[in-house]
This record gives sequence, structure tokens and C-alpha cells, in this order.
Amino acid sequence: MAVMGDFKQKFSGLLNKLGNQSRLSLSSPSEEVLKPISNEGFVSTPSKEDVKPPEEPAEILSDDEILESVEKEYFKELDFDPSRHELKKIGETLICDEILSHSERLHRQQKVVSKKVLSQILTNQRACNEEFERIQNLQSILRETLSICRDGRSKLNTGKQQLTTTSLGILANYRKRQLLRGILHSLNTIKTLQRSEEHIQVLLSESRYEDAISELLECQSAATSLKRFACVAALSGKLVDTLVMTEEQLDVALGKICEKFDETLYGQLQAAYALLGKTQAAMDQLHMHFTSAIQNTALKVIKSFVGKSESVVATSGKQYNELCKKVKEENFIPCLQELCSSLWRIVCSHHRVALWHQKHTVDKGTNKGADLEVSFTNEYIRQKLESMQARIWQDVQARFSTYLFSTDLASFKFDNFLQVLGFVHRLMEVGEEFCGSQSEELQKSVRLQSENYFAKYHAGCLEELRIFLENESWTHCPVKSDFTCLQLQEFRSLRGVIQNIGLHEQQKLQQSPDSSNQSQDSNSVAGGYFSRFSESGTPFDLANFDLQEEDILANISDEASGYFSDDSDEEVPEELKGDFVDEGHGDPSVHTSQVAVRFENCGRVRFEQKKVTRSKGRSSLPKGPLLTNTTLTVLRHCGKYLQMSRLLRTVAMDVIICLSQLFQYYLYAVHAFFTTDLAVSQPNLYSVKLQAALKRINAELIRPEKQPSAMVQINQDDKKKVPQPHISPIVNINDPESLFGLSERVVAVESLVFLADQLDSIRPYLEHLVRHEPRKHYIQQFYLQMVSVASDLRLPVYACISGRALDLRTMLNMMARVNWEIKEVSSQHSPYVDSVLRDMQIFSMRLEEAASHLFISKDVHNTLWEALVIVCCSTFVEGFSNAKKCATGGRALMQLDFTQFISKLEKLTTLRPIPHKEYVELYVKAYYIPEEQLEKWIREHTQYSSKHLQTLIQCACQNNKKTRQRLSGVIEEMERLGLIK
Amino acid sequence: MSESYDYLFKFLVIGSAGAGKSCILHQFIESKFKDNSSHTIGVEFGSKIVKVGGKSVKLQIWDTAGQERFRSVTRSYYRGAAGALLVYDITSRDSFNALSNWLRDARSLAGPNIVILLVGNKKDLDAKREVTFLEASKFAQENELIFLESSAKTGENVEESFLKCSKTILSKIETGELDPERIGSGIQYGDLKHLQTNNTARRQPDCVCRPL
Ligand SMILES: Nc1nc2c(ncn2[C@@H]2O[C@H](COP(=O)(O)OP(=O)(O)OP(=O)(O)O)[C@@H](O)[C@H]2O)c(=O)[nH]1
Ligand SMILES: [Mg+2]
Repeated sequence: MAVMGDFKQKFSGLLNKLGNQSRLSLSSPSEEVLKPISNEGFVSTPSKEDVKPPEEPAEILSDDEILESVEKEYFKELDFDPSRHELKKIGETLICDEILSHSERLHRQQKVVSKKVLSQILTNQRACNEEFERIQNLQSILRETLSICRDGRSKLNTGKQQLTTTSLGILANYRKRQLLRGILHSLNTIKTLQRSEEHIQVLLSESRYEDAISELLECQSAATSLKRFACVAALSGKLVDTLVMTEEQLDVALGKICEKFDETLYGQLQAAYALLGKTQAAMDQLHMHFTSAIQNTALKVIKSFVGKSESVVATSGKQYNELCKKVKEENFIPCLQELCSSLWRIVCSHHRVALWHQKHTVDKGTNKGADLEVSFTNEYIRQKLESMQARIWQDVQARFSTYLFSTDLASFKFDNFLQVLGFVHRLMEVGEEFCGSQSEELQKSVRLQSENYFAKYHAGCLEELRIFLENESWTHCPVKSDFTCLQLQEFRSLRGVIQNIGLHEQQKLQQSPDSSNQSQDSNSVAGGYFSRFSESGTPFDLANFDLQEEDILANISDEASGYFSDDSDEEVPEELKGDFVDEGHGDPSVHTSQVAVRFENCGRVRFEQKKVTRSKGRSSLPKGPLLTNTTLTVLRHCGKYLQMSRLLRTVAMDVIICLSQLFQYYLYAVHAFFTTDLAVSQPNLYSVKLQAALKRINAELIRPEKQPSAMVQINQDDKKKVPQPHISPIVNINDPESLFGLSERVVAVESLVFLADQLDSIRPYLEHLVRHEPRKHYIQQFYLQMVSVASDLRLPVYACISGRALDLRTMLNMMARVNWEIKEVSSQHSPYVDSVLRDMQIFSMRLEEAASHLFISKDVHNTLWEALVIVCCSTFVEGFSNAKKCATGGRALMQLDFTQFISKLEKLTTLRPIPHKEYVELYVKAYYIPEEQLEKWIREHTQYSSKHLQTLIQCACQNNKKTRQRLSGVIEEMERLGLIK
Repeated sequence: MSESYDYLFKFLVIGSAGAGKSCILHQFIESKFKDNSSHTIGVEFGSKIVKVGGKSVKLQIWDTAGQERFRSVTRSYYRGAAGALLVYDITSRDSFNALSNWLRDARSLAGPNIVILLVGNKKDLDAKREVTFLEASKFAQENELIFLESSAKTGENVEESFLKCSKTILSKIETGELDPERIGSGIQYGDLKHLQTNNTARRQPDCVCRPL
């Protein structure tokens, strides 16, 4: 730019010197620049004088050279006069040519310079324009400045002319007023500050914590802005105090939340803490409150039950422990319930706090503006709440464990103990719902107590069962025909579950066992305790316990809940219902009047009874299950046992083992009572399983009879065992008239079978209770080895009757008198066959008689006959084997006798095929087997005793002593090996 | 397992259905009124040790069903009972009228030596009373029964009934009127008695009615 300016100056100077006025077609606004160029004629004037002839070879010169050739003087001074300069050069003599050529040269030079200038102008025009614009701007600014200055001056002038003292006074006053107003405002603020204290108190009393805190904070900030006032310093000190006090109040309110959650209150508190920026601290504080609430509440409850008389001045740590021990036994359950309810309220409050936060976190989350701080706080709260939950439940459990351990539950009545278990069970369910806890501590403590309790209880039950068995008359106890154990009161709380499991057993097998287990009888089906009892009531109110069970019942089966009523009207046999309709506890007067009517006729009724039943015949007998009083007792115990295991899964296995012992003892007793008079020891009568079962029970459960001398020495093992049961003396099993206690035996065995059936029906439930596989195995074994053998007991028991109903001794004697050595084939059977058939006829008649007043099922009927036939057949073989000598004719007679027997028997019984026919036939026919095959036959037929076989070979190999001796050896060896008896 | 006691008595509770037999037994053993009581099926059982005249006596009590259809089951329990509570309902004349039948049954089945205590139950329902105290006392006197009015609900006279009956049996033993050694007496020596007397050579197993 500077160079440019420089050049321009020079250039304009040059133009001026040239005096050139010629106008170039440039749109330059500057007059000074244009002026010299516009005059073109000026240049031409001197050129006329300087014109030189163009012969000079100047044409070849380039523009640059021409420019170069311009004389230095032209560029030197500003006031350079070119005309003079040129004129000076002209000598005295004016040579026209020279002048012309010179002029010509100058012209050429001028042209070049003009061209150069033009090009220079073109290149620099833009810059020139910009510069020019700037200049214009400057000009206008200057103009404005000028006018402002002028205005100011004129106003100053006016002021100078008009200003007076009064005006100044007004101004000063005005300023003062402004200042005073400021002060007044401040003073007002201070006044409200002072008043705010009161207002805050009002707000606090109305629990409007959020407003209180926001007001307080406002006040504080106001106070800091008014710090310059001395009085404010004191005031802000007071404000700090108020804040501290308010925070204390907040804390108290927070503490109350633990006892009773209040949504609006809690919202207020949270907002207040948020304003204070203490949301996190508040959570910590809350945790502390919960912890102490649990402690204090538990203590308070216990104290209220211990009573004021007990002044405990112990240290707080031990205090709870000590106090728990002072709760009286009769208060234990009410106190437990109160403890449950009170702690439930706290736990529930916490649950609702958590819910509140869940809801409100979501709110903040949807608000996109949530910054990192907020989400961090939320996360903190979430974690805190979670860890708090676990801790709170831990604390609750600890309280209960201590309480449970403080009393020896062993002396509790079963129902009361169950109630305790019920509470604990419910607690564990709550724990599960609250924080997914399995409540291990609680479980452990209650398990310990339960084990002790149950062991003792079970011993009592076994003892009671023994008393029942020993007093049992084995009379049929009338119940309605569709009676099952589920109708007993003891099963009331289990009905739903057991039926449900029974129904869904198939489905259950397909599902994973755990998932279904959970839902089976956990009561959380209907929406959890927290939602149901969040506002009022607790899951520990007694009413809610019952409601629960009823609920389950309603859910599972609505088929006639009346079925389950224990009202025994239900159990009246159909044909008796007429007499009993009005009986029921609802209307005692009617109830008793019926009784009286019946009783007045009592003698007659009883007298007529026989006649009536006779005429009624078998068909009208109630077809209900045969069971005894003792069976009911066992079932009742089962119900109680199951109630216990339902409430406490961890003892389920012990309970089931005990339950199995009840059955085993019953089984053992029936066997012991009714097979003592078994005449023939017959392997055919006992199944292998039955034998094994009896042996096991005898070894594991039955205490050996005491030796009178060594009665003090009972070893520890035997203490757990049960004494041998003895049949009640009123049971007469020796009367031939009543078929040697047929009805008692039938009732006994069939009641056992019924018991086994009932156990079968609860099997799925037992398996459901026990999740542990190896333990399930025990249940399987129990059912396989014990329950399933119940019906196997029929044969040996009924065979006792058979053995006595038939005069076997006479039969054997008569058989011994038969001559088996006859050669010719007889056509007349032996007399003993008629004798035994006569016995059978009597048996048949007596059986009919018995069946007229006792329902004897087809199964039992058949088994009775089967037993009879078995006994008979063994006697046949026994009798035949007594014949040391035998001829073919004798053998044929044996066949004849037996065939006669069978054909007559088929008329007496409907039992088909006649069992054990082969047993006799094979034995008789073995006589005909060739000697070389006899050994094989002997080895294959181990059902015969060694005596049977010995006689057989004696008869079969009558003439071959060597074979006889060899075979005898084989038999002896078999006997030694225990293959035969 | 078995606690120590001097004697064991077999007791019966008999009477018309609904008289409150089960409630009386429940009250005696559990000290609670069983308000949801339903008809007894067959026979139920309870036992308790009581102190009578310085002796501890174990009572083995059979609560029988009053309903007619259970008669065959319940009658078998009568045998060898040392004592019986014969219960009627003071608000039901019919239950009172049935007493002589019950009495006859008890005496014939349990044996003539059985000590029977007449109990008029539901004393708390005095407003509905149908049987006066005087009338029942007369009946008791005629039949040589001890008589009490009780309430299973309030517990009044429940324990007393059992105690009184036990006391009578005990005094009869002491006067020799009852012989515990006799079969079917319904009385047994307990462990304590054995230690004291220790003269019985043949030791009975602690079952009531086993033949020796
Ligand atoms: N108010 C009142 N009611 C009683 C009392 N004792 C029994 N009851 C009621 O009488 C009814 C019959 O009582 P139970 O004890 O079952 O009668 P029970 O004699 O055992 O009857 P069975 O077993 O059928 O022989 C029940 O509804 C009892 O609640 C009593 O002392 N006072
Ligand atoms: Mg009853």
C-alpha cells in the first residue's frame, strides 16, 4: 500500500508536470487525478515543435526501452516543468527535423507512459475504491461526532442558564428516598426472616416438610444477602439452629415411617431431603431407623407380655434375651403372634418404601433432563434399599430365633406347637417374598426345636397306638362308604394340597419338580402378602390363617366342600340315615330327643338286631371300608404328622420315617395277634416280601420282651423301640361258632389293607414333601417293602381259620389208616375225603353267617377259600407222604381221592381255578416218573419238604436200593443247602 | 418315655351323643373348650397324670361315641374300666332319661365294681335347663352314684369330676373293697408303686387288661 501510495504520488506529480489534461475513459472519482489527463491538447502542442522525421530507426525499440529512455529529469522533481526542460534542450538553431523527431520521440514516450499508467490504474483501482469507501465512512462518523458535540454543548448551555439550588435540593432528596426505600425493603425482609421461624414451625406441625425446608433455605440465602446488617448475623445464627431443629424433626418423621408407612408423608420427607441435598444421607438414616425399630419393637412386645412386675435393669444387649426367657408358657403363642404382627408392620413399611422409590425413580428416568447426579443417587438408593432388605430380614430372623430358643417347646401341646410352626412357616414365606430369603437362621432354630419335639411326640404316639391296639376289639367302625382319611379333621389343612397333587401328578412329573413344588402350597398364589396386607391386617392374624386354607380349598376343588365336613351325619350308612337325620349339634334339643327315643327302645333294638340283620341279608350291608378305631387313630396321627412336615419341610423326612413306623407297628400287631394259631407252617402262605417286612420290623421297631431279671438293662437302642403289643383279652379267636374270630381277623387285616390304601393315596404328597432324591428313595422303599405287603397278610391270617376250621389231625389220622398198598384200582374214594369235605361245608355255612353281619368283599372271600384250599392241599401232601409204602393201586387211590375232593370243592366255592391243585397232583404223579429222571424232578421241585421227598423216593424206588440211597443223599444235600425244608 | 406314677386307672366317658363328653375330656386335658367339637367316631383316647391324696395316678381315659351306630365298637372298651363318667346334658331331658340304660350297660359290661360318677354337663346354660339339680341328685342317690354338675365350657367341675372319681377308687383300694390284682379291675400298679411295695413277683406289663 505504501509503495502504491508512493508510486501514485510520483505518478500524479509526473502528470501534473506534463500538464496533460487529456481525459481517459476512467471512472475515477478523483478530480485531481483526472484533471491533468483530460487535457490532451497540451501534449500535442509541444509535440508539434519537437517532431522529428520518422526516418530514425526508433521503431524497433520496445515499450520498456522507450520507458527507459525517458529522461531522468521527468521523474525528479515535483515542480518540474517539462516544457521548459525540453525547450532548454533546443539549441539556438531550430532544426525543424530534429525538433520533429524529438517531438516524435516524446510522443512515443508519452504513449508508452500512458499505457503503463493505464495498466497501473487498472490493477490498483479496487484498492483505491476500498480506501475511498473507508474515507467516506470516516467522514460520516466525524459528522455524527460533530453533531453530538454540538448537541451537548447546546444542552450544557441550557443547563448553565437554568440550574438553581432548589433543583439540587430535590435531587439530593430523591436520592435519599431511594436509599431509604432500599433499607425499608431490607428491614421488611429481616422482619419476615424473623417471622419465618414461626411459620416454619407451623409448616412442620402440618408435616409440610418440603415447604418448610424450602422456606428455610430461602431465608438463609436472604440472610446472606443482608449480611451487612449487624442484626442479621444473630438472625442467621438462629436460622441455622432452626435448620438443625428441622432436620431433627425430619429424622423423627423418618423414624415414624418405619412403624407406619405414609405415602404423602414420605414424599414430603424425600422432597425435603432432596432440597437439603441429603437424599443419600437420608437413606442411611432410614436404615438405622429400621434397625432400631426392629430392636425396639421386639423388645416392647416382649416387655408387654412379661408384664410390669418384672423390672429388668439389664444391659440392652442381653435384655432381649433375658426378657424372652421370662415370657410365660401360656403367653408364648400370643406373644409370638404379636411379635410377628409388629415386625410385619416394619417389614411391610420397608417394602413400601422400596416400592415408593421404584415408582419415583422411574419418574425421574423418563425425564430426559436427569443428569448424572440424579442417576447416581438413584443407583445409590437402589443398592442401599437392597442391602437394607437383607439386613432387616436378618435382624427379624435373629429376633425370632432368640425368642424361639428362649422357651423349651417340648412341653407344648401338639396343636400349639403346630401353631408355632405355622407362624414360623408364614414368616419364612414372608421372607421369601420380601427379599427372596430362605430364612436359614430361622429354619435352623425351628428345626432344632422341632426335631426334639417331634421325637418325643412320636414316642408318645407309638405308646398311644400300643394302648389302642391292646384295647382294640377289632370291631368294624362304621363310616360312610366313601370314607377317606382326607375327611378327618386332622387332614383339613392338607386336603387341598393333597388332592391338588393327586390331580396334577401327571403334569407335575412333566414339569420340573422344583417349580411346581413352589406353587403347590405356598400361599403366595393370591398376589403376595405385601399387596394383600399393605394397608391393614397382617398375615399373622388368626383369621387370615383359616382364610388361607379355605381359599386353597376353594381354588382346587369346588366339588361339594360339604364332603369334608367332619360332621358325622355324613358318615351314617345309607340305610341308617332315616334315624339320624335330625341329629346334629346345631339343634341340641332335637339331637338328644332322638337319642332318647332310641335308648328307650334300646333293649328291644338290641334284641331285634339279630333278626333284622338276618333278614336283611348280605346285600344290604354297608359296603364301606372295613376299619377299626385304631386305624382311625393311625390315620389321625398321620394327618398331624403331615401337618407338621408341611409347615417345616426340613423335618419332613423324619416325620415320614415316623409315619412309616406307625404303619409298621400296626402291620406287626395284626400279624402278631392273628397268626399265633397258624397250624401248618407253610411257605406258600407268606410272600417273600411279607417275611422280609416282618423280620425288619421285628428287628428295628419292636423292643425285645424284657427278661424279668435283667429289666434294668435296657440299651439305648431298645429305648426307642416299642414293646411287643398284646391282643386284648376280649377278642376271642378260639370260638368255632364264630369261625375262630373270623370277623375280627377280617376286620383286622382289611383295616390294614385300608390303611395301606390310604397311605398309597397320600404317597404323591409325601414325595412332594421330600425333594432330596436319596430320601425319596426311602419313601419308595417303604411303599415297596411295607405298604404293598399289607394284602399279603390275608393269606397267613385267614389260613389260621382254615387250619382250625378243618379237623386236620383227624384227617391225617384217617389218611394213615388208608391202605395205600393195594394193587388193584379202587372205584370208591377214601372216607377222609368226606370228612374234610364236611368240615368245609360247615366252614362255608359259617362264612355265610359271618357275611350276613359283616361286609366281606369278594377279595376277602376268595382269599378265605384260597387259604382253606392251601391248608387242605398241604394236608393232602402231608398225609400222602406219611405213607411209607405205596403201590400203584394206592397211588391211583390218592388221585381218586383228590379228584373227588376237588370236584366237591368246586361246588362249595366260586373260587376258580382251584389254587394249589397242582401241588398235590404233581406230588402224587411223581411216583410214576422213571428213576433216571427222578433226580432232576427232585431238584426242580423245592416246594416239597425233605420229608415229602424222602417218602416219595422210598415209594418210587421201592425196588432199587442204590438209587434210593443216591437220591436220599441228594435230598439231604438240598436240605443242608437250605433249598428245602 | 413312660412317666412314673403309683396307679394307672382305666376310665370311661359315656353318655348320650352331644352331652359334651369329648368337650369334658378336652377341657380336662388341654384346659381349653373345644368349640368345634364334632361327633366322636368310635373311641378317642386321652391320658393325664393327676395327684390324688398324695398319690400320682395316671388316668387312661376312653371317650366313647354316644351315637347308637358306634355301640358295637364302644362296648368293647367298657371291659375292665375302673371308673366311668356318665354324662348327660342338663338342657336335655332326653339325655337324662337315657341314663338308666347307660348305667345298666356300664355295670354289666365293665363289671359291678366300676365306680361311676354322674355328670350333668352344660351347667353354663342354666337358662335352658330341663333337668333340675334335685332331680338328678335323687337319681344319683337311688343308683349309688356320685353326682356333680359341670361345664366343659367354663371348666367348672371338670377336673373335680375326674379327681373325685379317682379318689373314690383309691379309697376303695385302701379299704380293700377293690383289688388291683384282680384281672379286669382296670387298675394297675405304676413304677412308683412297684418301687415302694416291690412285693409283686409277677410283674405286669403296663397294659390294662392283659390276661396273666
Ligand atoms: N354351652 C356348653 N356347650 C357345651 C358344653 N359341653 C359341650 N358343649 C357343646 O355340645 C356339643 C356336643 O359336644 P361333644 O363334646 O362333641 O359331645 P359328645 O358327647 O362328645 O358327642 P358324641 O361324640 O357324639 O357322643 C358341642 O357343640 C359342644 O360345643 C358345655 O359345657 N357348655
Ligand atoms: Mg364325642
